[in-house]
Amino acid sequence: MDFEFSDDQRAILDAAEALLAQHAGPARAAEKGAAGEYDYELHAALASAGFSEVALGPGTGFLEATLLCRAVARAGGSVAYGAGALVAPAVAGRALPGPVALARADDAAPIRFGADAKTLLLDAGDEARVVRLEPGAAARVRTNFLWPMGRVAVAPGASTSLGPGSGARMRRWWRVALAAELVGCMESALAITLDYVKRRRQFGRAIGSFQAVQHRLALATVMLEGSRWLTYEAAALGAPDESAALAAAHASDAAQLVFRETHQLTGAMGYTREHPLHVFSMRLAALRHEMGGVAAQRREVARARWALA
Amino acid sequence: MNFEWSEDDARFREELRAFLDAELPPDWEELSRHGPGSDVQAAFSRGFCAKLARRGWLTQSWPREYGGADATPWRHAILSEEMWRRGEPRGSQYMNVNWIGPAIMKFGSEAQKRTHLGRISKGDVLWCQGFSEPEAGSDLAALRTQAVRSGDDYVVTGSKIWTSYVNGAEFCFLLVRTDPASKRHKGITVLLAPMDAKGIEVREIPSVVGERYFHELFFSEARIPADCRLGPEGEGWDVVGYALAYERVGAMRYARAALMLDAIAAHAAARGLAGDPAVQEKLGAARATVEAARLLSYRVIDLRARGSAPTADTNVARVAGTLCENAVSDLALELFGPGALEYGHPGDAYFRLAMTAGVAVGTTEINLNLIASRMLELPRE
Repeated sequence: MDFEFSDDQRAILDAAEALLAQHAGPARAAEKGAAGEYDYELHAALASAGFSEVALGPGTGFLEATLLCRAVARAGGSVAYGAGALVAPAVAGRALPGPVALARADDAAPIRFGADAKTLLLDAGDEARVVRLEPGAAARVRTNFLWPMGRVAVAPGASTSLGPGSGARMRRWWRVALAAELVGCMESALAITLDYVKRRRQFGRAIGSFQAVQHRLALATVMLEGSRWLTYEAAALGAPDESAALAAAHASDAAQLVFRETHQLTGAMGYTREHPLHVFSMRLAALRHEMGGVAAQRREVARARWALA
Repeated sequence: MNFEWSEDDARFREELRAFLDAELPPDWEELSRHGPGSDVQAAFSRGFCAKLARRGWLTQSWPREYGGADATPWRHAILSEEMWRRGEPRGSQYMNVNWIGPAIMKFGSEAQKRTHLGRISKGDVLWCQGFSEPEAGSDLAALRTQAVRSGDDYVVTGSKIWTSYVNGAEFCFLLVRTDPASKRHKGITVLLAPMDAKGIEVREIPSVVGERYFHELFFSEARIPADCRLGPEGEGWDVVGYALAYERVGAMRYARAALMLDAIAAHAAARGLAGDPAVQEKLGAARATVEAARLLSYRVIDLRARGSAPTADTNVARVAGTLCENAVSDLALELFGPGALEYGHPGDAYFRLAMTAGVAVGTTEINLNLIASRMLELPRE
């Protein structure tokens, strides 16, 4: 048992955070998000620095990719890092041409990064399938949830199977990636809100000094911290069924609380496009509905733990 | 970063489980449902802890010079998990090992160390704690039980309330005010009070939690020898602070919740509810709270293993533990069905055990206050 980052992990994270400070951040995310645009510049910067390939080593692996996935989300990156750098290598054993988007085969709903993806990774039940997307295969979807989204039409027979059992592998790592993104967005949403309640004064005092405010932020912190460790554990253990589902379920629960409380405590200012909260809160609201949503994540825990089905 | 147990630790857990299987009587599950304060459990803990001591496990986390084995905090956590999982057969003696003993090591006189540490490490002495008072609950520093020096004694007058584990207790880790003019944290002193001193009266406060769970202690000019004072007079607040920081997440209560949730899930499946999406959802959500509590407790153990000073991570773990116990006890009644309303049913027993989680050993509100001030650095004003 060891709950600290290794020196190598720390060094990778520091380097990534330096890159993200330069190429990402809430202001850029707000701009990209409002326009529904994919951040190709950030995508390229992460790739050229080698961060997109940490999952398959050498010397690094899926835990490091998960840590970076959280860091990218926390910095407001408008890129498909989790799908391309974590889920794709876990399922295919190699990098797939990015951006990569993730979808369920029986679901025609709009997906994150759908309009920009070069590769679509499909959860088709027992197997995962890969689809090379031609330009124009997808339609950009207008959304208020700050992720670039699109609706993808896949012709029958246009996909390649990654083999029996690859579907479960995809879902397991998709849950871990999702949990890491939820954790990253929650961290920023809470940090922004903490900063706000320490500065904002009403009745002659900082509103963060009211116990009613403090308790809600403290409870949100408890939920966030639990989600963070569940996510790290799932990644470190190789995304076992139950562990991956626990991380996604708890982080989805936490995200709902974090969304409500951060908006409540930042008042009208938090809804504006000039204030950074909306980037992370709206992304959280979207993330917790991915993969069938929080109900599906909880039920997956029950299936994995007790074979309830 | 590593989330796997070392081979040694995994082997220790296996040995401990085998020991528990061999030493707990066949009707232990039933006995344990009467609760930790009951006659039967208080009596059982003596023989059980003595056996644990003979295996070298009772005080394994203590330094060698006091009869321990310098075991790592992780070993201590495994012991606590396995004990809680099985209904804490150590009874109140977990307190002796976790913080009463360590406080005596740190602040005790040579005579106190000789008197108490040996007995604690042999597992044949029961303690209770006298902290709360009618007017001093979460606001512990408001305590007013008075101790006036008279010759070689302190004469103690006042009352303590909500005391558990009084059943069979020989000593009380007692907080008193030795300076009547003092306010708040100043002027508080710790006495290692023998419970057979004249002038101490014990009254049970009947409650729905369980048999002999709460008591009131009345001190009517009880004479406690002055050499029972732990640490300097008037500096008891620091002694308690040390003791409770040492305790940190001493009781791994989520381990019991995890076992109970497994039983609830099995029962639900047997009732034909395995395919019910609402049941699956509730069980899955509760399981996540249990596992979050486990990892947050591990985080505290990890910090302790690194020798770091106590942080608000402890309070985070405590609140998470309460969320987990609340979630599981709600399901205990819901999914076991009306049968769980019968006294002694596993659902009833767990419900009673869990219902004090947010109040005992520091309320959720106090923990949230500490997270807000120490971790989030929110202003007090």
